[in-house]
Amino acid sequence: MTSDRFEEGLEGLDQGAPRSGARAAPGGGWDAHSDHPSVTALRGKFGEAALRHEIVAGDEHIVYVDPEHVFDILSWLKDDPEQSYDFLQDLTAIDYGDGQRIQVVYQLYSIPHNRQLRIKADLPIADLELDSVYHLWRASDWLEREVYDMFGVVFRGHPDMRRILMPYNYAEGHPLRKDFPLRGRFTRAEQTRRALSMKTEDHYSPQELEWAKRLGQPLPNVMEEGGPGVPNPAMPGVGGA
Amino acid sequence: MGLNESTAPAERTDNLPGRRERGVSGALTAAPSFLTTRMDTVVNWARKNSLWPMPFGTACCAIEMMASAATKYDLARFGMERMSFSPRQADLLICAGRVTYKMAPVLRKIWDQMPQPKWSISMGACASSGGVFDAYSMVQGIDTIIPVDVYVPGCPPRPEGLIYGILMIQDKIKESSPTQDWYGEEDPLAVGRPALPEDHIQDITLPFGNSTTQNRGSGLMSTGAVVRPDDRRP
Repeated sequence: MTSDRFEEGLEGLDQGAPRSGARAAPGGGWDAHSDHPSVTALRGKFGEAALRHEIVAGDEHIVYVDPEHVFDILSWLKDDPEQSYDFLQDLTAIDYGDGQRIQVVYQLYSIPHNRQLRIKADLPIADLELDSVYHLWRASDWLEREVYDMFGVVFRGHPDMRRILMPYNYAEGHPLRKDFPLRGRFTRAEQTRRALSMKTEDHYSPQELEWAKRLGQPLPNVMEEGGPGVPNPAMPGVGGA
Repeated sequence: MGLNESTAPAERTDNLPGRRERGVSGALTAAPSFLTTRMDTVVNWARKNSLWPMPFGTACCAIEMMASAATKYDLARFGMERMSFSPRQADLLICAGRVTYKMAPVLRKIWDQMPQPKWSISMGACASSGGVFDAYSMVQGIDTIIPVDVYVPGCPPRPEGLIYGILMIQDKIKESSPTQDWYGEEDPLAVGRPALPEDHIQDITLPFGNSTTQNRGSGLMSTGAVVRPDDRRP
């Protein structure tokens, strides 16, 4: 790898969209000289669902895919013996601040072939839904919850789609969105009040949720966006329906 | 002087040669004796020299707190023989580090679980004011959550700083009056609630602004470091 190529690759970093700096080949954005076997195979297999290909930072291959086909593509990448990306290194999302889309990023690694591949899917900000890959890589469990918590992307088929970092009665939105104000939407007094209305026992595990569901016991509506939060008998008027 | 003498009646010490001249009787002979003092003084003396801290370490300040308790600085010199990791057996809460809103009910609960009399130290910039973390997830000073007796500045404070804060707590205990202040008198409705009224929280947690906005607010055009006129070189 020459240093020129590296510099050229750096140009394309963190832009989220193909620009002249990134090495996106003309003609549908596919690099004809791609030396990444998975990229070639993926294009051959899925055709239109794989939108374009890009190389950044010298040798990092990114494939932009149609969000509707994310699950098909990823399960093929995991299960096909020629690919066998058996390690989901990271799953995260990016808001580039254009108010149009949230980009979900899958960083894959194939241990048998010693190969890396990055898959990206642009979701329109009005329709943030995507198939969960929980059943492909269990590593995605908490990562998908984090993306949901921070960006509001809902992963269809995830068994436990709750907030993971913010408290369950958090009703100010999704903090890592670019339109989220740094200090939150509520006043500090209201934030303090809401925080103290949580009880330390309010953190249910999935098993407890399941048991309560089977026993028909009511649960606080903690999973709904802007939901009423957790009722606290010590503070009438805070939380609860 | 032997063990036998310790059970001897106090009168006998007066008969021993040289005792009366020293002005002490029981103290040197180990014979039963008494001293007169104020109740406040002796209770405060006992309390301030046997504080058991409840360490609430959430960030890097906790490292300095651990150093304070370790060999070199040795909090045991001041009566803190052990860190009490159970709030029921603690009387000094040391909040060392930043506290998120998600952690706030935990801090409040630990404070509520500590028996009276109790004191608290807010250690470091983040615990005292939110520090540099003026963000959506951070409590802007734990005094909005629990009452605070002593704030220790620093980022993080050195062990000397924490020890100085603890000595201030000891001074405060020394000046208090356990026979007149009724510590058990705590509003039961205060449990689980913010330590301050809502408008007060709003006042003290208004964004102070970083150095850049302060410089702009003071009329300086440059957003760099403030340069004093004396510092300018010709």
